[in-house]
Amino acid sequence: MKNKNFVFQTITMVCLTIGLVLAAPAPTRASSHMDAPLITLDPAANTTDVYAFRTDANGQQYLSVALAVYPFEEPGVGPNKYNFDDAVLYQIHVATGADVAAGQATLTYGFQFTTSYKNVNTILQSYLGAVENVDDANQNLTQKYTVTKTVNSSKAATTLFTNVVVPPNNQGLLTRYYNQNDNGEFPAKEGVALSSSLDRYTSQTIPTNATGYQVFAGQRDDGFYADIQSIFDLDFMFSGPNKPFDSQGGFNVHTIVLNIPVSELGGIQQVVGVYATTERQRVQVLRKAKVKKTSPQNSGNFVQVGRQGNPLFNEALVAIKDKDLYNRTLPTTDSTNFKNYALNPELAAALGLDASHTTNRTDIAGIFIPDLIKTDLSTGPARLAGGQNAGAPPAAPNDPGFSRLSVFGGDALHSTAQTGFFNNGTVPGGWPNGRRFGDDVLDIAVLALESDLRNPASPTLASAPADPGVDKVDHNDIGYNKVFPYAATPLNGRSHEHHN
Amino acid sequence: MVYGGCGRILSVGFLLFQASAALSTAAAPVEAAAAIDARSIILAPQSGDGKVDQEIGQLQGKIRSAKDPNPFIVRLGWAFVAKARLTSDPGYYKLAEQCSQLAGEESDSLLLRGHIFHALHRFSEAESVARKLTSDPVPRWENYALLGDALMEQGKLSDAIGVYQRMIDIRPCLQTYARVAHVRWLKGDVIGAEELMKTAVSAGNSRDPEPGAWAYSRLAFYQLQSGNSAGASRSIARALEFVKDFPAALFLQGKIDIVNGAAEKAVQALTTAATQSPLPDYQWALADAARLSGNAELAAKTEAEILSHGAIEDPRSYALFLANRNEKPELALQFAQDELTNRRDVFTYDALAWAELAAGNKSEAKQNMQRALAEGTADARLFYHAGKIAAAFGDNAQARKWFTRAVAIQQMLLPSERADLTQQVATLSSSRSATAKLSSTNPPAAKKAVTRK
Repeated sequence: MKNKNFVFQTITMVCLTIGLVLAAPAPTRASSHMDAPLITLDPAANTTDVYAFRTDANGQQYLSVALAVYPFEEPGVGPNKYNFDDAVLYQIHVATGADVAAGQATLTYGFQFTTSYKNVNTILQSYLGAVENVDDANQNLTQKYTVTKTVNSSKAATTLFTNVVVPPNNQGLLTRYYNQNDNGEFPAKEGVALSSSLDRYTSQTIPTNATGYQVFAGQRDDGFYADIQSIFDLDFMFSGPNKPFDSQGGFNVHTIVLNIPVSELGGIQQVVGVYATTERQRVQVLRKAKVKKTSPQNSGNFVQVGRQGNPLFNEALVAIKDKDLYNRTLPTTDSTNFKNYALNPELAAALGLDASHTTNRTDIAGIFIPDLIKTDLSTGPARLAGGQNAGAPPAAPNDPGFSRLSVFGGDALHSTAQTGFFNNGTVPGGWPNGRRFGDDVLDIAVLALESDLRNPASPTLASAPADPGVDKVDHNDIGYNKVFPYAATPLNGRSHEHHN
Repeated sequence: MVYGGCGRILSVGFLLFQASAALSTAAAPVEAAAAIDARSIILAPQSGDGKVDQEIGQLQGKIRSAKDPNPFIVRLGWAFVAKARLTSDPGYYKLAEQCSQLAGEESDSLLLRGHIFHALHRFSEAESVARKLTSDPVPRWENYALLGDALMEQGKLSDAIGVYQRMIDIRPCLQTYARVAHVRWLKGDVIGAEELMKTAVSAGNSRDPEPGAWAYSRLAFYQLQSGNSAGASRSIARALEFVKDFPAALFLQGKIDIVNGAAEKAVQALTTAATQSPLPDYQWALADAARLSGNAELAAKTEAEILSHGAIEDPRSYALFLANRNEKPELALQFAQDELTNRRDVFTYDALAWAELAAGNKSEAKQNMQRALAEGTADARLFYHAGKIAAAFGDNAQARKWFTRAVAIQQMLLPSERADLTQQVATLSSSRSATAKLSSTNPPAAKKAVTRK
């Protein structure tokens, strides 16, 4: 099945009352990436996924974190107007020490964008011609961003990067270097194993600062893969003639990736927590007279409009009535507001599990409450996903021992910072110990619900299903990069497929 | 005005009739029969094969089979709202209203009902529903948006501002930014309105195209008023990328074309706009553009269309149109007065003042014009009307003041209004010249007397 044409619908509007036009909600689109009724109207601030995992690179030990926004970017549109929003403050938060259990951010990394056009006297918004190098004369719409680090206890802020360029979206012929053989007619390049193999635009937009931080922000393939359609169609057999069905297959997102030196976090002997938020600036309805006389400016604090930690929590566990509340609140309130959703997961009942698996799930609450991605830094680097596609050229293979099912597929790591399972330091190789690109989070979530991890010393692990797994979607539509920025190359607007 | 009205409230139409005809006539308690009646009405098969029609069909199927159909009934209500907007058939609003009543008193159902009341210009009922919604312990911006809209339309702007502040404190987004921008414009802060609408459009997206198109059209309006016609043209182009042939954008494009002397081009844009949305404002602009381009036949035909259907489409604009032509002034007055019973914002007071002037009621015209100007709205039509009312009193200083302000943003006026404004200014200027000439030849005592006059 194809699902290409939901954008740019032609709607004839006859009744123009401002209230109706501006207030009527959009039609409901049920999917994990459209998680709450209000945030669905605001894709640039709509967080789709957060990632956090241990890596080593360039002689540094890193916590690699990523935030993806703007769900369901159809690559084959024009003008290609999917961008970060200048009015949104994107933030990735890291909790360390006692702050992890409290759901309190210790450090906050903020990303703010500014958009400019090289030529506004044209209808050609994004590109004036083929982009040979990022920010060249043909990249008409150009976004640049600043990255700041704030130590929340002291409010001390440090600027880590300024004026970093966002590479162009992958339109096709005009952005040929994203694509195989540097040819805009070909699909996007599969993931690579060496930084030197990255496409030109990506490699030109990865600065490293003196402390060792690395950053990237730009369009990427949506690295989430699952049959969300069946979940919300209450079809837990994932059956039918159009299956398997990767609901996110063929779509891009916008992704921010940051490599944080672990030395900035206090070293590796710890478990940190990661979540992300998006915020928009509060404004005064009426501007003050003084402000009116000067240049236009908004003022006011930022208001949180989106939040994401672990995958699927707000989408699959929190009830509709509280989804917007989740987006507006901090993890510090999760224990009060949302713990019951984790203790008594409705999804477990929907899956037909027995009563012992549907109530008092302290193990599930341990993962989701507070909703931070808990990431053990002591384990050494996580095994990374490459790709399984036999493209030309093929993607870099998965690291040996990598399993999309994490610990349920035998992919475990050894921690020296916590007791872990079996009292021997065993922790999952992927989610819910961190989350890597390539973790099959839907399958892992179902397996976690079917398992019983309430006694870590003697956990009962559900048997991993034979491939292709729970929802029969067992791989992403394009191979991931095994080097920074890890997220896969954005799909080519001229050559891509949906739902493979 | 574009930001005003859809006053098209027709009969529910054959849809309800068709559904009612299919009802079982078996004896049953009245309440149960009413419930069955409403359910049968909303589940009656609909024509059409568009996306919304498909959604309506799917939701009707789910309502038939679901154990708890209420969430689907609310969604069906919103689908009917979408259909009403697509087809301009307000009968679908009545179907949506049936859905909201059938779905009970839950907040989602009430929100749907409040929006329907607002769309049907039942503002006090919308306010009542919104007040109930805003008493909910979990604050939702949509509830405050609905309340603010209902208050604003009823002329309770101060109250609306407080409510809108609460709304945007809860959630800054396209919908809330756009509302606040409109309030700023109403209060005369065009720069602040433009600033915020730029923020609003940046939060828009092609997946939800209609609000994006609307926001870009309003941004173009502010830019055009600020004299930035190039920026306005760019915003119009963006709006049309969101929604092809979006009437509000084409209306502004037509205005820009007229200002640029491209009347035939304006006719094209305005014809499309008026076809898509047969509001008197669009038709009035089309008639003016047609006359400018030398197409008197199209102008006359379009004006006849306004006269025959304008009262149904938008009675307030219809009243303005009649008063502008000094045609049926009593009828214009009646429509304006009727509008005021329900809607007491600055534009209704303006329409009433204009109709009063046409009817020869100068004092009432002046009084209502003062109410129209009370919020400080910087609107060319308001200034033009205020100038003419002042001139009718012989208050040339006031007339000159308002005409000067109108001239400064005359690109916002329709050609027929601009032509009259130019004539009024010329008359005042010649009067001033005559006065100056007279004063230069008179002795000081005589000059003093003329000045007093």
